[in-house]
Amino acid sequence: MLRMGIVLLGITTLAWGQGFTFTLGSPVAAQDFQFKSAAFVFRAEGCPEPDKLQLSAIAEGVVSGERRSVTVKVMPASKPGVYAIAQSWPVEGKWVVILKGACGGQTAGALVPVGPRGFLREAAKVLPRPATSGEIEAALKIFTDGGKQ
Amino acid sequence: MTLFSRHVTDQLSAHIHGQLSPRETQRFERHLSECEQCRAHLDQVTFGADILEEVQIARAPEAIWNAIEAGLNQAPASRRWPLAAAALAATMLAAIVCWVELRAPAAQWNVVRIHGTQQMTGRVGPGDWIETDASTRAVVSVGVIGKVEVAGNTRVGVVAARPGEHRLALRRGRIHATITAPPRLFFVDTAAGTAIDLGCEYSLETDEEGSGLLQVTSGWVEFQWGDLHSLVPAGASCRTTRDGPGIPYFDDAPDVLKQVFAEGASRQLDTVLAAARIRDSLTLWHLLMRVGPAERERVFSRMAALSPVPAGVTRELVLKLDAPTLARWKDELAWTW
Repeated sequence: MLRMGIVLLGITTLAWGQGFTFTLGSPVAAQDFQFKSAAFVFRAEGCPEPDKLQLSAIAEGVVSGERRSVTVKVMPASKPGVYAIAQSWPVEGKWVVILKGACGGQTAGALVPVGPRGFLREAAKVLPRPATSGEIEAALKIFTDGGKQ
Repeated sequence: MTLFSRHVTDQLSAHIHGQLSPRETQRFERHLSECEQCRAHLDQVTFGADILEEVQIARAPEAIWNAIEAGLNQAPASRRWPLAAAALAATMLAAIVCWVELRAPAAQWNVVRIHGTQQMTGRVGPGDWIETDASTRAVVSVGVIGKVEVAGNTRVGVVAARPGEHRLALRRGRIHATITAPPRLFFVDTAAGTAIDLGCEYSLETDEEGSGLLQVTSGWVEFQWGDLHSLVPAGASCRTTRDGPGIPYFDDAPDVLKQVFAEGASRQLDTVLAAARIRDSLTLWHLLMRVGPAERERVFSRMAALSPVPAGVTRELVLKLDAPTLARWKDELAWTW
């Protein structure tokens, strides 16, 4: 009984130790022709109970000096655990997509600057929690002040 | 978990058509995430459903229905006669449908020839060629799956125009294809091999010897010549020669890589490996299959240093060029491309 308990504890630790997180990629990573024109795709990893996975996304932008906010649809791709974000925000201005995820008691987040030719990989940030409003403002500021593509 | 849960193959169609309840969808996706067999079935059914959307329904000739009705109206000579008649009618129907299918004229595609400000519309089908000179170009509607822009000084022919196969032959010149169909429905043959659409937008130029360039702007293209094949994703290009496709490289790759793989310059392997970034694993992955065993080991080491080797991918299997292992690694590397 004790041995079984130790094994179960080990399995649980391994499962949780993997950690819930996002991996970002260009649309080709999804290998799903329906999303070839997506702004980017992402993979939710380390969620031991996929039915409890909750995802949401919002695009925060600055257009002609004015702050804008657009709710973004998270679309599942043909591969399980892979999702696509299509551009549903205006082409004008500078935009950062904020991803938010929860799986059981775990959380994950990401700040993804998106330019006219897709997401800016080097400037994107994956976080172990939802981004704070301060981080969102900072990301937008860096992107609008010095971001280029 | 998979061991104790029922396979979901009987729900594939309902899932594709959005007919599952939220609870069923959850169970379906949970099972799918753990069952490779069901994922493979889903891929096949999705592909089939996509193709079915492209298929046009052909009506059987009126004469067939008249013959069947006439047969049914005749009084049976014995209890076996109606069965025999029905079987004969079914056989005739199948034969006639096949005959009609084979005799039916192949699909024709609209083509617009543009000369300066003048435009002339026409139709092209299998066996037809489009030839432009320096002052003309053309736009071809490829059935309902996309369009092909034909640049000046180009010769391109229609090889097949069926729902399951849209095939062009590019003898020389340049085309730009924008395709919205499921993968492997649109093909372009050149002297260097065949460009296979995997859901994409790309430009392809070639001369009559097969020397040319493939540049992909969206999705993927596979370029195949016998056993040699190159997978080219958006943002990457691939040279072609009479010996087939070269090694793909990203358009923003370091100069050293572009000099070698775009311009054919000669460089030491170590120089190429040292210059490669994480994203250039696209080039290195293809290089694995084009070099000898000693060089392959060095390529593997550089790739492993650039990004972690995923579970299930081992040095031994990679060096043996084990196809499933290479495919698994490619799928993982694609997240950096």
